[in-house]
Amino acid sequence: MSVFVEVDHVGRTFPMPDGDRYIALKNIELKIKKGEFVTLIGHSGCGKSTLLNIIAGLDKATQGGVLLEGRQVTQPGPERMVVFQNYSLLPWLTVRENIALAVDEVMSDRPKGERRGVVEHHIDMVKLRHAADKRPGELSGGMKQRVAIARALSIRPKLLLLDEPFGALDALTRSGLQDQLMQICEENKTTCVMVTHDVDEALLLSDRVVMLTNGPESYIGQVLNIPFARPRHRLEVVKHPNYYSLRGEAVNFLNQQKRGKQRKVKQTAIARHGLEKVNLEIGFIPLTDCAPLVVAKEKGLFKKYGLDEVTLSREPSWKAIVEGVASRRLDAAQMTAGMPLTMTIGIDGKPPLPTVTALVLSRNGNAITLSKHLYNEGVRTLADFKAAITSSPDKIHTLGMVHPSSMHNLLLRYWLASGGIDPDLDVSLTVIPPPQMVANLKAGNIDGYCVGEPWNSRAVYEDLGFVIATDLDLWDGHVEKVLGVREDWANQNPQTHLALVKALMEACEYCDDHRNREEILELLCQPHYVGSAPEYTRPGFIDPYQRGTDAKPELLLRYNQFHIEKTNCPYRVEGLWILTQLARWGITPFPKNWIEVLDRVRRVDVFGEAARDLGMMDIEPDRGSIRLFDGTVFNPDDPISYLNSLKIKRDLRIQEITIDLEAEARGERLEARG
Amino acid sequence: MQTLNSTSLKTDQLINRDPFLVIEDVSKIYPTPNGPYIVLDGINLTVHEGEFVCLIGHSGCGKSTLLDMVSGFRQPTEGEVRLQTKRITEPGPERMVVFQNYSLLPWMSAFENVYVGLDSVWPDKSKAEKTAIAREHLALVGLTEAANKKPKELSGGMKQRVSIARALALRPQVLILDEPFGALDPITREELQEELLKIWQAHQVTVLMITHDIDEALFLGDRLVMMTNGPAATIGEIMNIPFARPRDRTRIMEDPAYYDLRNYALDFLYRRCGHVDE
Repeated sequence: MSVFVEVDHVGRTFPMPDGDRYIALKNIELKIKKGEFVTLIGHSGCGKSTLLNIIAGLDKATQGGVLLEGRQVTQPGPERMVVFQNYSLLPWLTVRENIALAVDEVMSDRPKGERRGVVEHHIDMVKLRHAADKRPGELSGGMKQRVAIARALSIRPKLLLLDEPFGALDALTRSGLQDQLMQICEENKTTCVMVTHDVDEALLLSDRVVMLTNGPESYIGQVLNIPFARPRHRLEVVKHPNYYSLRGEAVNFLNQQKRGKQRKVKQTAIARHGLEKVNLEIGFIPLTDCAPLVVAKEKGLFKKYGLDEVTLSREPSWKAIVEGVASRRLDAAQMTAGMPLTMTIGIDGKPPLPTVTALVLSRNGNAITLSKHLYNEGVRTLADFKAAITSSPDKIHTLGMVHPSSMHNLLLRYWLASGGIDPDLDVSLTVIPPPQMVANLKAGNIDGYCVGEPWNSRAVYEDLGFVIATDLDLWDGHVEKVLGVREDWANQNPQTHLALVKALMEACEYCDDHRNREEILELLCQPHYVGSAPEYTRPGFIDPYQRGTDAKPELLLRYNQFHIEKTNCPYRVEGLWILTQLARWGITPFPKNWIEVLDRVRRVDVFGEAARDLGMMDIEPDRGSIRLFDGTVFNPDDPISYLNSLKIKRDLRIQEITIDLEAEARGERLEARG
Repeated sequence: MQTLNSTSLKTDQLINRDPFLVIEDVSKIYPTPNGPYIVLDGINLTVHEGEFVCLIGHSGCGKSTLLDMVSGFRQPTEGEVRLQTKRITEPGPERMVVFQNYSLLPWMSAFENVYVGLDSVWPDKSKAEKTAIAREHLALVGLTEAANKKPKELSGGMKQRVSIARALALRPQVLILDEPFGALDPITREELQEELLKIWQAHQVTVLMITHDIDEALFLGDRLVMMTNGPAATIGEIMNIPFARPRDRTRIMEDPAYYDLRNYALDFLYRRCGHVDE
């Protein structure tokens, strides 16, 4: 669709009394389609109202400009109406007169009768017929704001701008007005830009939520696309499988900004012990397999290798991990196996950001859980699941996974496809952060998921789901979590990187000694790590694994594998398997130069150096074929034939992936903007 | 479910204790030219010592009227409100109220605003003692450095901190909060919620709080009292909030029970007691 409003590289600088300048907004670029509802969200002082005023023509951009239907906005005009928080009604005029004033002014060329009709129509639109002759002093806050909205809409603006219109109202009055506004906008196809700091309001009303960072130099930090179908209803929207993860993302964005505000002083590198940087911020996700990071911290292994000041940052989602590493908020992070590859190639429209891994942190540890409801319908196997899908064509089965680049996504898809279920056509896959899986299953938003522990066992423990397959059933010994850092970070901090790999490798060894598992369990269950209850964290990690079926609990010694059998080497063949699956499902193109890509991303050399220093084996596992549960053999010498042989897949794109300096420079520029 | 089991345990323990604050068969009726207007109809609620109870309901459902009868600003038309078996008939320092609009005296500094309350309740205490109490409570809400500032020099969040310090300085048994954070931006609101929880735990004070924010209620409260729409409003339902304390916002939001409770309360407010338009 064509662009209706274009905010073109807008910057706004204010002169300060001391002769200095305050840069409020920097390089804001936003294209709004006709009929779209966009909200701007951010903390007080982030410049969102300034931006709205610039769109309204009440303020002028210092750099760049705003176009409405291709024409530059230079001054306020009736085609762009603003509704403010404080209503701005004339107190001596009635509701009808307040609206008529605007209509008479703007539509002065129209006959009186027509203007009268417009006024009355808008009084009805906001359901104020009974109060049409009242003055603002006799109206409640909610009613006053309805007058302001009616007045703004009565002159048929092309664009409705709302600056925290409901901010002064209590939450419940607010909800009534949100419903009305939504209905009016849908009926009239009004294009809206609204400033708010209420996340639920933004999610309910918007097609896109544009989140601004804190000033000075605010910029667009993140944009959320809101997929809920219209017309929307408050109580249905919260039941959408993505509602709470989108809400979590927005809240997380605001919290990060808040923390950033508190931090203020930018963290500077502290060099010590021959290491470039000993103060590291490392991100992790609350999962059983974050154990090596927790052990390295709690057992003093980071310190042992000179990393004196390591902070572990509990992140709410894998997306937050990607963002944290990209923005350098995090030095390093626990990552899904495919994440360094997808970051390097670039997915979801993100520019390529070369990212490397020199260490596999864990293998296995995932399972596929389906709802108890499906179990009660008799689903026990993949074939049963297929039959359940076929027999209920009206129901869309929704399955959760944690990130496109995760083994959960790739193995779940592989498993479904092996049973003749197309993961994109026959079911709906949706991204949900691990800790929110159980809540979504319980709420009935999803029918199952693939995730790491303890989130399968928790569903079993709470009798909400059953495990239809563990990853030992699919691919015993597959790579699961890796340590990821930006390539430029690894290049700038080679000794630190090496020390980090060594500390974690030793931690991995410690984790695989089952005598230590009780101690590790206690660490994991602490609230600032996984924060789970031991009852559902033990299965698989220490105790026999419970599937929530008739099957007897089974001891799975290699369910969480951290060190044994060459766990830690980020060897290239499995990286290649991941590349084929990413291409199979259209997540990334398959790189013609896969050897170069894998060489760049999977730093077997750094792993080898660390292993030798520790006196461990530094050999890469054999370059053999990989055979999965369905009998399909993956031959690393001919990945393209393998891809072509797969039955269920998307259109393959095969292309040269250039990980050049330009890509890095582009990353830098984005960085500088951020 | 594990979390709910732990609640019922907790409730059992509470039931064994003596009731602390009892609202019994309370109705509030105003005579009007068109006949009696029933604001509240037959309210029964027993609150235990140290409990944190939140009230939610649409505007005009009489929540504030109900709390006014606990603070003693108004009297029930029928029924009675008792604190430790003693009937409440007038305001008293053992039941302190914090309002949304802060209600600070604009010509006095933060310190003086706290001190003036102490002075009126404890005229016999020495100046030094009262000064110490005022300072201690300003420190409690993190305002030591702003003690000499006047309200207009303070942000909304700081003003509300002064109001809370002023209320707590009188060592009330019951703290009544009438939508105290409604006017604050979300970040300040969250900060004050966290401070309030710490203070509540340290002081062991019983809290009744009106809110319009379901997330706030779920984070703070032991129970959420959901009121039906007026006129003749009453308690529609009482929800137990099972999350273990001390509470961590992120952890609560990971609890499968959270969304159930949140959606249940949303459903109550928006469907079962849908908003009646003005």
